[in-house]
Amino acid sequence: MNTSGINGDGQLKNWGIAWRWLKRDLTAGELTVMALALIIAIAAMSSVGFFTDRVRQALVQEADQLLAADLVVNADRQIPPAFLEEAQRRSLHIGGIATFPSMARGGERAQLVTVKAVSASYPLRGSVKLSRDGDEVTVAGGPKAGEAWADARLYDALDLKPGAGIKVGDKSFVLAGIVAREPDGAMDIYNFIPRLLINDTDLPATRLIQPGSRVRYRLLLAGEHNAVDSMRLWLKANLQRGQRIEDVKEARPEVKISLERAERFLRLSALVSVFLAAAAIALAARRYVERHLDSVALLRTLGMTQRGIINLFIRQYALLALVSVTAGLSIGWCAQFALANALSGMFDTVLPPAGPLPALAGAGIGLTLLFGFCLPPLLRLRNVSPLRVLRRDATPQGNAPLAFALGAATLAGLIVWQAGDAKLAGLALGGLLGTVGSAALVAWSLIFALPRLPLPASVGWRFGLRNVSRRRGLSVAQIVALSLGFMALMLLTVVRGDLLGAWDKSVPADAPNRFIINIQPEQRADIAKAFTEAQLPAPTFAPMVRARLTSINGRTMAPESLDDEKARRLVEREFNLSWGESLRADNKLVAGRVLADTEPGWSVEEGIAKTLHIQVGDKLTYDIAGTPYTAPVLSLRKVDWDSFRVNFFVVGNRALLENQPASYVTSFHLPEAHSAFASSLTHSFVNLTVIDVSAILKEVRGILGKALSAVEVVFIFSVLAGLAVLYAATLATHDERKQEAAILRTLGASSKTVRQAASAELLLIGGLSGLLAAGAALGIGAVAAQQLFNLPASMSWWLPLVGAVAGAGAARLAAAPLLSRVLATPPLRALR
Amino acid sequence: MEIVTPQAAAILQADSLTKQVAFDHETLTILDDVSFKLPVASTLAIVGASGSGKSTLLGLLAGLDTPTRGCVTLAGQRLDGLDEDGLARLRAENVGFVFQSFQLLGALTALDNVALPLELIGRSDARRVAESLLARVGLGGRLLHRPRELSGGEQQRVALARAFATRPKLLFADEPTGNLDTQTGVRVVDLLFELNAEAATTLVLVTHDERLAARCACKLRLAAGRVLERAGL
Repeated sequence: MNTSGINGDGQLKNWGIAWRWLKRDLTAGELTVMALALIIAIAAMSSVGFFTDRVRQALVQEADQLLAADLVVNADRQIPPAFLEEAQRRSLHIGGIATFPSMARGGERAQLVTVKAVSASYPLRGSVKLSRDGDEVTVAGGPKAGEAWADARLYDALDLKPGAGIKVGDKSFVLAGIVAREPDGAMDIYNFIPRLLINDTDLPATRLIQPGSRVRYRLLLAGEHNAVDSMRLWLKANLQRGQRIEDVKEARPEVKISLERAERFLRLSALVSVFLAAAAIALAARRYVERHLDSVALLRTLGMTQRGIINLFIRQYALLALVSVTAGLSIGWCAQFALANALSGMFDTVLPPAGPLPALAGAGIGLTLLFGFCLPPLLRLRNVSPLRVLRRDATPQGNAPLAFALGAATLAGLIVWQAGDAKLAGLALGGLLGTVGSAALVAWSLIFALPRLPLPASVGWRFGLRNVSRRRGLSVAQIVALSLGFMALMLLTVVRGDLLGAWDKSVPADAPNRFIINIQPEQRADIAKAFTEAQLPAPTFAPMVRARLTSINGRTMAPESLDDEKARRLVEREFNLSWGESLRADNKLVAGRVLADTEPGWSVEEGIAKTLHIQVGDKLTYDIAGTPYTAPVLSLRKVDWDSFRVNFFVVGNRALLENQPASYVTSFHLPEAHSAFASSLTHSFVNLTVIDVSAILKEVRGILGKALSAVEVVFIFSVLAGLAVLYAATLATHDERKQEAAILRTLGASSKTVRQAASAELLLIGGLSGLLAAGAALGIGAVAAQQLFNLPASMSWWLPLVGAVAGAGAARLAAAPLLSRVLATPPLRALR
Repeated sequence: MEIVTPQAAAILQADSLTKQVAFDHETLTILDDVSFKLPVASTLAIVGASGSGKSTLLGLLAGLDTPTRGCVTLAGQRLDGLDEDGLARLRAENVGFVFQSFQLLGALTALDNVALPLELIGRSDARRVAESLLARVGLGGRLLHRPRELSGGEQQRVALARAFATRPKLLFADEPTGNLDTQTGVRVVDLLFELNAEAATTLVLVTHDERLAARCACKLRLAAGRVLERAGL
């Protein structure tokens, strides 16, 4: 009977042997390190994946609350019954809003209001908040029939109190609440007229809806994610003129920017765990192969072919992958539940369940990492000579370039896949290669320089430091892996903090929260005086000229000729043109030159230029009060929409617009305590309209806060993955260190000397890794700030020093249990 | 620390040494009540079949392991009164080792391996002494080779050079030829005895090779952990 499990061709008979080997290796500790690294990696990545998937969905859902629904159709006519039928067929929740301007009468006064008639189901997402005794109270649904809710501006304007009557059209209502926030209120901030919410069952009684009335209808839809998506597709195919889908990402640039940044932060955090996993597995794989050289040599003497060896280990790896993926995904799944549970209060909505994709991605990443980093060392096993059973020097050399190339290709592939964004992928790849390259270069230089440097007199310290250059390959591998691990952790801590700080600063606490529009030129001085008297800084006024874009390069702009819906809307509506300062501080020139007072020309915001395919040199014609004005585009600008200051898509030069009829606009920060100033201003200057944008500022800050918390949670997992790297790095030298300590003690070294030797080596490797990691993290952070997040780079210059100390400390601490164990074991036992 | 009286002045003394190991619910006695005194500059061979307790005895005598009962006195010092660092200091000053599996540090060159025990006791001439010792064992041309680049015989010669580097009072050798072919083994043993004679070191040798044992002045034969035969002691 052939007991070796090898057939006549030196091939393995079946999977059974691979399984038995795997079990034996696991119990004997042979594969435990790698399995552990893989399980931690998969658990970390999948929990990050599951959780970010849920958080992402929740963020989108919260953002959807700006729409009060998952999907909104905006129409200038009544919503066709076919839309409602289709939504019903898909079991979606349906709601409706009709808005129109009307005069509201209360007491002896009248005020233009925007009437918002809402269905009983309104809002489908989020909730209305009413002001009661200075507090915001969340209420379910909208006003009851016969009741109306108005915002504070209407109460001020009509000098009414809750409980008073108000008449709209032919119908009287009781004012039952002061609206503090509507879930979809932020979407309508330019609807600066005071708002009145009524129940849509009261709408016919007002008799205000007549043919030709300026009514805007909104169909609100919400429901299961897939149903909403398919409904969106159906609607896109069936929309008619005057109907469009409202999308939160398109509606408000500030919200769009915040959402995109939140998503990028989360993706970047998830990518970090990929880096960490790779470093841990690469170290573990190296040790695994080292420990198998002897047994493979024995198998070769028993007649196993090189192919047989590869087969055996591939099968073992496949089984290992199965076990690790199952265990890793299970742990990841449980961990994300615990996370979601801990964070349930953070979201207004319940976190939606994670989709299957993160599980597949986790398994895919696990498999790719395992095989990407284990195949080159495996090829080394293939080349083990049977002679090794007699001569230990018959050890095949590893193919370092192949291992590096395959490892790098694997990571590159994973990064491109995970990043889902060319810029992010480019940054991650550049960061990875830069870190690995510079860490390897510095490590080799150190190994070369160390024996030539004056070393400490103490034998322990000297021995340890020399060990770094003696264990060349291993030292380089450890420094590279630890640098990568520390860099990832630093990116997630300090650099992330810098980025979030810069982000937070981009919407400063004193960002303007009020806009005043409709200021007449002659009122500017008086308004500025009113500000000064109220001890507020005098505002800067920007002129605003109403105009319509009629042609580009002589080509008439007909909305129906444009394919892009966004471009069509831009051409349909009136533009507000401005002139003044040649280039404002929160604007950046991206093409062309600054406008001159005398040379006619336009400066266009780059986003709108892209939508309308406008380039520097194009001639734009605007119709201003019936007269066409043509001038070339002299520059394209990047506008910092985060600044909440007055900004314009198109600015003309002074000579072109100075004599046109203009009103003025300004923005300013009104502290809470001075909120009455806005009302007093509108009382003194009745034509002025003051728009309160503090609600939208709150929304933006809310999204930022949630993204921050989500990233912090993701960070915990990356720390665990980082610990895995540290553990793997310690284990990489475990056997060697154990034997070394035993020999040193046999030769009479004191425990202090043994500790010093280990400390010197670990402190140097850890400290250098920390230093390199800090440099890499700062570099990546600076590029990320500028390229990805469009934020100024703010550097924590203290990071290299702290990184070096923390890296040294972490590496030494990680080895402490092993060292104590070795020192507590009698040398003879360790040597055996 | 207890200093033994001059009339009992042996370089090595074992008193009722017993070593027991617990396996599951069973206690296994590996060494049972072994006692002897070894005079300065003599040579002792500990012989016996595999599993008779030879290497365990050597480990206890050298202070590399602790007995369950009994006491070892080495160079006038009782080992049971010393902590791990005290034992290490005693070894550094008095003891050299040669192992069956050489126990060289793989990351160190031959020169570094031999210089190591000298550096541990703070000798500033460590490398010079190591160089001359390596030349003495015939490896003057392999100073910068690492253990994996040397044959078994060469590695054992490096180990011999390391063992004699500090001119120890006592040298413990555990099956020094166990991993070598006969011819190489003979050469290594010849070298061991030559160096031993030059340095007037007391040699304690564990072996199952009767011819090698015959070259020693004293002999202790173990069987199942007990002393079966003693000669010259």
